[in-house]
Amino acid sequence: MRKNALAGWLLLAPSLVLLGGLVVFPVVYNAWLSLFDKHAFLPVQRFVGLGHYVYFAHDEEFWNSFGHGLVYAGATLVLQIAVGIPTALLLNEGFRGRNLLRGVVLFPYVIPTIVAVMLWKWLLNDSYGLVNHLLVAFGLTRTPVAWLGKDWIMASLVITSVWQFFPFVVVTYLARLQTIPPELYEAATVDGAGAWRRFRHVTLPQTRSVLFVIVLLRSIWMFTKFDTVWLMAGDGGVSRYIRTLPVYAYARSFTYLQAGMGAALAVIMFVMLIVATAVYFRVFEREEAVS
Amino acid sequence: MTRSALGTSVVSRRRFLTTTGVAAAGATLLARAPAALGQQVRELNVWHTEVEPQTVKTIQDTSIAEFERKFPGFKVKQQALGWGDLNTKLLASLAAGSPPDLTHLNPFMTASLYVKNLLRPMDELIRALGESDIHEATLKLQYFDGKYYGVTHAMGATYFAERRDLREKKGLKPPETYDDMLQLAAALTEGGRYALQMPGEKLYMGFVHPAEWLAGNGGAWVDARTWRPQLNGKAMLEALDYAQKLNKFMPGGWSGQKYLDTLAALATDKIAMAHLSGARTIGYIERYAPETMRDPEHFQPMLRPHGPSGQKGVSALDGENWAVFTQSKYPNEAFEFLRLFYKKEHYMAYCHSVPIHLTPIFKSMINDPEYLSHPRIKKWKSWHDVMVNGLRTNRFLPIGFSRPEDNRLPFLAELDGSSIVADMVVEVMVSGKPPKAEADRAQRRAEELLTQLGHKRWS
Repeated sequence: MRKNALAGWLLLAPSLVLLGGLVVFPVVYNAWLSLFDKHAFLPVQRFVGLGHYVYFAHDEEFWNSFGHGLVYAGATLVLQIAVGIPTALLLNEGFRGRNLLRGVVLFPYVIPTIVAVMLWKWLLNDSYGLVNHLLVAFGLTRTPVAWLGKDWIMASLVITSVWQFFPFVVVTYLARLQTIPPELYEAATVDGAGAWRRFRHVTLPQTRSVLFVIVLLRSIWMFTKFDTVWLMAGDGGVSRYIRTLPVYAYARSFTYLQAGMGAALAVIMFVMLIVATAVYFRVFEREEAVS
Repeated sequence: MTRSALGTSVVSRRRFLTTTGVAAAGATLLARAPAALGQQVRELNVWHTEVEPQTVKTIQDTSIAEFERKFPGFKVKQQALGWGDLNTKLLASLAAGSPPDLTHLNPFMTASLYVKNLLRPMDELIRALGESDIHEATLKLQYFDGKYYGVTHAMGATYFAERRDLREKKGLKPPETYDDMLQLAAALTEGGRYALQMPGEKLYMGFVHPAEWLAGNGGAWVDARTWRPQLNGKAMLEALDYAQKLNKFMPGGWSGQKYLDTLAALATDKIAMAHLSGARTIGYIERYAPETMRDPEHFQPMLRPHGPSGQKGVSALDGENWAVFTQSKYPNEAFEFLRLFYKKEHYMAYCHSVPIHLTPIFKSMINDPEYLSHPRIKKWKSWHDVMVNGLRTNRFLPIGFSRPEDNRLPFLAELDGSSIVADMVVEVMVSGKPPKAEADRAQRRAEELLTQLGHKRWS
């Protein structure tokens, strides 16, 4: 018995070492680093305890970034679901060209982020962008809209992100839709349920768990999204209007050169996400129990 | 046991010693074998900011080719990176303890690296190049505690690029003051064309231009003695007020566009002046402007105006310096490479690869007929003259400097990276917020930053 246990541990050891080295150690080291005033590229550090956390509690930039992150994650999440679920429902139906359309829908998700962002920045450019050209041509506006300027930059970022990530919702939701027994729909139809009632009383309850996963994953991913936000305006003056916490953490570490502060921001985001996830699980479990 | 009993497996002492000796000698020889016998070629890593393909090729064909001929065991690996990329990559490589052997640095970063003991002095090289021949505008930018820690690769002034023909049609002279500039901007905004456009990158609108505004309006980033930031001082407030007024004459989306977009807009008649320009603009004009307008009669550089509290307008001088790190793997070879880089024929070819933008640092070469004989310099001589005139009248300061002594501030890179100034400028210019409130906010943030970085000298 003991021999078997030993063999088990030995077999597990490589995975444990990898997990420890690649997951646990960086998290613990990051938390440790957040207690120091550490320069980004010099071996100079000074213990400051919880000083960084106290500072951020009063830091206007932190709260601005937090607010931008909430708006960005919230808006993109809602829109991804609003676009993704109807698309998945459509692609679950039988029609000519369905397979081709399924491939096309996946396209934004498989191209690199840099390509997606460049593409949208070209489309939205106020001097030579296609979007403005069409708006002016159709008489919807007299002067080009500054999509990449202060007033519209968040909207442009949301549009780009929704376009890029809604296929995840489509694919995940579609996979679950395809496993719902057709008999349930047949029975509902026999009972006189129309399309909306079939969706509400058959599809939605059957897809609750996958929706839970989609909301959980997408909200975490959007709240921690760095590349799309950075590429949209990271080096521009307007970045102020879409600066989210990951971008602020990056800036503290690599442009302010304050690695300790950057680490503290990462810890704060980590804790925020754990708390939000725990609350979300709790609510979902309670609803599951009720239903 | 007799020898014969051991049979053929027995090796005589003599044979054993001979074999061991030969093997040891062979191993020693192999360990010290020349490159031809498979020794790994050593790599001299050179990073720089001149990304134009013809410049990269010129360096490869001149300095690198000769270096590799002189040092057969070496291979030079050059990497051309844009400013922003270079800074980020450089800091990451320093953090990892493996910086390049030789690199360009922005002068505003050099002091910060010097005080951290990361740079090697290069006095011997400077003397070999001819200390007295190096232009005063660059010579002492990296001169700390009696030693040189850098040498500028070439000089490129920045200024407005204007549609001279449009201005002259209005009967207006190049502006001397902020008020003149606002008048000119108002006159040139007409018929769907905006007067000017500023680049939207933080580096420019939030660091390079504010430094110019301060320098041209009698101000400075910080108090010279206490290093207390001066972001809400009179000079900055006047400059912000000017910038806010200037915003009315720029396209609404300028803050989302980049430096190169502004050059394209100038060449294609969407604007009458590009706020940030250098001799590189000539390339855009020659490529994109209508064929009949690709000349200095239509496009001309214009120096910056000064503010009400200043005496003369100041522009940023784009001129990174070469630096060798203390952690450099091959410092001696890096210095040797620099000697070859500045060798007259190599350096002339380098400067000619983007004429005027890469103006030589050697006084003797700036007016050398051979240098001036390049067709593009001949055609665009007035652009070269603006450069020479600006140098003569001290109208240039290195990028990000509000006064010459800023080369000693070890926190300019952090101030630039912090976005504090960029946030202030964008709020004032784009959001139209009151300059005083935004300047006070920026001042508070800058004081906090310098305190956190350990540079607080005021009480």
